[in-house]
Amino acid sequence: MRLAFNEDQATFSTVLGQMLGDEVEAGFHTVEGWGRYDYGHALDARLEEAGFFDAAREEDLGTVAAAAMVHDVARVPVVIECAASALLRPFLGDDLPRPLAVVVDDAPGAIRFLPQARALVSITPDAVRLARLDGQAEPVESLYAYPMGVAGQDLDWQPLDADPQTIRTLWQIALAAELGGVLDGGLASVLRYVREREQFGRPIGSFQGVQHRLATDAVWIDGARLLTLRAASTRDPAHAALALAHIQSHATRIGYDLHQFMGAMGLTLEHPLHRWTYRARALRAEMGGAPQAFLDYADTRWGKP
Amino acid sequence: MDFAWSDENDAFRTRVRDFLDRVLPSDWDATARHGPGSREQTEFSLSFCPQLAEAGLLVPHWPAEWGGADRPTWEHFILGEEMWAAGEPRGGQYMNVNWIGPVLMRYGSDAQKQRYLPPMAAGRAIWCQGFSEPGAGSDLASLRTRALRDGDDYVINGQKIWTSYAGLAETCFLLARTGEGRNGIAVFLVPMDTPGIEVRAIPSLIGHGDIHEVFFTDVRVPASCRLGDEGEGWTIISYALANERVGIPRYEMSSRELDAMVAQLKARDGFDNAVIRTRAAEAAAACDAARMLVYRVVDERARGEPPGTAANLARVAVVEADHKVTDFGMDFLPDCYSGTDHAAFQAHHERAIVTGIAAGAAEIQLNLVARRHLDLPKGA
Repeated sequence: MRLAFNEDQATFSTVLGQMLGDEVEAGFHTVEGWGRYDYGHALDARLEEAGFFDAAREEDLGTVAAAAMVHDVARVPVVIECAASALLRPFLGDDLPRPLAVVVDDAPGAIRFLPQARALVSITPDAVRLARLDGQAEPVESLYAYPMGVAGQDLDWQPLDADPQTIRTLWQIALAAELGGVLDGGLASVLRYVREREQFGRPIGSFQGVQHRLATDAVWIDGARLLTLRAASTRDPAHAALALAHIQSHATRIGYDLHQFMGAMGLTLEHPLHRWTYRARALRAEMGGAPQAFLDYADTRWGKP
Repeated sequence: MDFAWSDENDAFRTRVRDFLDRVLPSDWDATARHGPGSREQTEFSLSFCPQLAEAGLLVPHWPAEWGGADRPTWEHFILGEEMWAAGEPRGGQYMNVNWIGPVLMRYGSDAQKQRYLPPMAAGRAIWCQGFSEPGAGSDLASLRTRALRDGDDYVINGQKIWTSYAGLAETCFLLARTGEGRNGIAVFLVPMDTPGIEVRAIPSLIGHGDIHEVFFTDVRVPASCRLGDEGEGWTIISYALANERVGIPRYEMSSRELDAMVAQLKARDGFDNAVIRTRAAEAAAACDAARMLVYRVVDERARGEPPGTAANLARVAVVEADHKVTDFGMDFLPDCYSGTDHAAFQAHHERAIVTGIAAGAAEIQLNLVARRHLDLPKGA
């Protein structure tokens, strides 16, 4: 049992932190046309060029470093397609394009990242398939803070040599990491605000009613991060389901608190809070949401009914 | 990162489990039902702990100089998990192992160490902790019990309350005031048979004989009973609490009782319902989140890092886990909380409802998380 990063993972995390540092402040600008998301093209290119999306292939970095990366990248107020590239792509074969979009069990509706994606991955109980995209994706307007799109019916699906259960487990870990990171980024943003914003002659973050709720949120987020890293380390389906279920189940309450304490400022498109909370709203419903993830876990731990 | 137990850790856990299987009597659940502070469990601990010591499993993490074996920090926690999950057959002696002994090693005089540590390491010492007072619970620093210097002695007057294990304890780890403010607090190691001490049990929801009022009326003790310097009490208690905040691995008992509850439901064909399965998994998630947060504290300690805010976060998570499991049991197995057939569920409930109150209220932990971990400004 060792809950600290190994030397390579620690170095990876430090370098990643330095690369992300610029994005924190850069994200505090409005997006042209009052867009609901800010795609971090420059960050995406830097991470790809530096080979960060291949961390899971490296023995000394592995899926733990990849999951930590997904979490940390999700903390910044720009969005990039990181989760599928970092945690699925290394296990789907060589020379796969990216960015990727992912659909699970043929879920209906718009798909995150589809307008940017160069391939769509489908995970079903029986198969993992991939369709390369070449103009078949159409962007759709959405409340969610992601580029959302729908694909036409004429996709050329190719089966991949990958175990569906393994890929499903990795995708649960990836979603848990991204959702935890998104909520953590939103929390950091709110903390900055409540430390400075004064009402009744004192910072609103000094009121115990505010402190206790944010502290409780921090406990949930921190616990979820550790559950996610454990799942990334063991790749145990039960651990993955539990990590996703835990953070999905708390995401609604955390999101409510973040908006509540940001007040009217958090309702504007000028402040980036919505870029975290409206990603969380999408992620908390992925793969059937917390109820399905809890049931997946119950099946694993106590047997199917 | 490595979330797997080492072979050595697994072997140690097996050794502890084998010991428990061998030594705990068949009616142990009924004894444990009374609570760690009860006469039944305390008396049991006085035969159990010496056997544990004989097997090298009472204080393995203590230095060899004081009866230990210098074993790693993780073994201390594995031991704690197995003991708590089994209903804590060490009774109140777990406190000696976890923090009273280590505090004495750090702050005690040679005479105090020689007097108190060997009986603890032998499993024959019952202590109580004299912290809370009627006017000083969460705000412990406002305590009013006073120790006045009188020549070579101190004369102690005041009242403690919620004092666990006081009914059968031989010695009290007592906080008393020798001056004003936080710097005016000292620790005294007071024999409970000193004239002027009166103990009254308080009937409670959390087990028999677990909490008490203790009255100190002109209690005269020699100055040699003082632990550390007069103004050092707050430093000592902070050190003790740093050891104790995650000292009881409550998530382990909760997790095992949750499995037992599910088994009970399955036996009644009552675990197919999706709502019930979801609630069970939700409780399991809370247990595992608490476990991971506690393990981080242990890991930091094992690597020699100074105590940070991780223990405050862990304590909050442990409270949620305990409550989610006992709520699950009472919601879906309500009949098991009457009668004598399900003593373990009832014992778990009584331990769970105190989790957010004992050893510092959960809300105090939230204050500490807010100020130290989230760097939020202090209130007016």
